[in-house]
Amino acid sequence: MTGAGTAIWGVGTSAFGKQTSLGGPRLAWQATVEALDDAGLQASDIDAVYAGTVFGDPGTVTRCLQQIGIVEVPVITIENACASGTSAFHEARESVEIGRYERVLAFGIETMTAHFDGAISPIASDPDGAQGYAMPSIYGMSATRYKYEFGVTDEQMAEVAVKNRRHAMGNPRAQHHKTVTVEQVLGSRMVADPITLFQCCSIADAAAAAVIGPLGGSRDPRGEVTIRSSALRSGRLWDHTTDKVWGWDIVADTAAQAYEAAGVSVEDINVFEVHDAFTIGEIITTEALGICELGEGGRLVESGHTSLGGLQPVNPSGGLLSRGHPLGATGLAQIAEIAWQLRGMAADRQVPGARLGAVETMGGGTAGIDGNACVVTVLEQVG
Amino acid sequence: MPSLITTPPERAGADPRPELAIHEGRVLLTGSRCGDCGYPQAVNPPRCPICGSHGMVPATFGPKGTVFSSTVLRIPVPDRTPPFTLAYVDVDEGPRILAHVDGPDEALVPGSEVVLSGWSEHGDPVVRRSGP
Ligand SMILES: [Zn+2]
Repeated sequence: MTGAGTAIWGVGTSAFGKQTSLGGPRLAWQATVEALDDAGLQASDIDAVYAGTVFGDPGTVTRCLQQIGIVEVPVITIENACASGTSAFHEARESVEIGRYERVLAFGIETMTAHFDGAISPIASDPDGAQGYAMPSIYGMSATRYKYEFGVTDEQMAEVAVKNRRHAMGNPRAQHHKTVTVEQVLGSRMVADPITLFQCCSIADAAAAAVIGPLGGSRDPRGEVTIRSSALRSGRLWDHTTDKVWGWDIVADTAAQAYEAAGVSVEDINVFEVHDAFTIGEIITTEALGICELGEGGRLVESGHTSLGGLQPVNPSGGLLSRGHPLGATGLAQIAEIAWQLRGMAADRQVPGARLGAVETMGGGTAGIDGNACVVTVLEQVG
Repeated sequence: MPSLITTPPERAGADPRPELAIHEGRVLLTGSRCGDCGYPQAVNPPRCPICGSHGMVPATFGPKGTVFSSTVLRIPVPDRTPPFTLAYVDVDEGPRILAHVDGPDEALVPGSEVVLSGWSEHGDPVVRRSGP
């Protein structure tokens, strides 16, 4: 069934920030044209589009792509909460892997400022959302539990924001270009105890894209990035039988599947882009990915292991805490960052000699399940 | 949190929130328990999600429970005025539910004992501390 493998041929993104006046199509053109140019393709070369968007109006994706000539092809839009962009990537990769299509655009977009002034409104049809349970409170719950169960400190959580904001100083496309201190992070206003404002990602408007095709099939195969594996799943039931915080098991289960399919172990991976929508989220995720043991995530970030210059940098782009979080675009921005890292194109934030990278995105908002969707993909430098 | 309501509010058919009811003066959580494997839920679906049994039996749970975790939301959300305290509560012998907390604007320590006590002015299930 599977052929000789699948690769990323090109990537592109818009800038990330509050840019309401640009509107969806212009953000989409920036990201898509950059990805097509990077892959050496014309719009008419694209066989199919898999796209992720969450709050987009009906028809958003076709409206974004028609005027740059991506027409007369299947366009499939996926909603998987924060993991919508990487879900589109996963399906695009799968479609090439099984030979359904040859040159596929994975695309993600979100124009958050058109829908929200601040935090995303809770989902009124959800048992938790109907109680006013906004996203920051989900992570507030996890942070309270981690302080109680593992003694994670406010300073360790703040350190995630300090690190990722520092990383973003090398990323011209990030929304925030200002370092913060632990004191500033903890002194910012309380949002959902014990999570403060600077520990929450901002909303943003952005688009991101990747062109996927058979490994070795592009015009300049040395510029390809091998997709060693990709895994996508929904969570287990999250109920009274578990002492794990919400979202731990889904990341661990998805990562295990992705590592096994790639034939790698976590120690082999040189660089990660992970879902740090809130500081505690990165702490939980680094544990669930196996970078450290359960309960050790706070000490891990403190140790410098996940900083640029450390052994396994996490979020060299600055992560969601620095880019902001345009839900549909986030996953493909993570993919783009790892692609640039593996090609040695990440300039001031380059992880020296990175050969193997991983992306993790996790989306939630549904009560009683350990996450709507998680994607973990393992990428490798060609050659 | 302002004004605890202790008589069942009117409830729209599609209201997804956990449903409380008063039985013999006590506030209990309504739901179902699997007749085969015993799995409890705050809803009553036609099949058990754990063992696949069709034998879900209506059940009530509580009034006591234990806090899994808690937080205070301090930003505005539509139709509500911050701050308000929330907790995940493992209801005794029953499911884990989200509830509002009647008390100071202070997250409860995990492991705290709580009791189901009524409804918020918005019709949310409410618990309050009952012990350590
Ligand atoms: Zn059962």
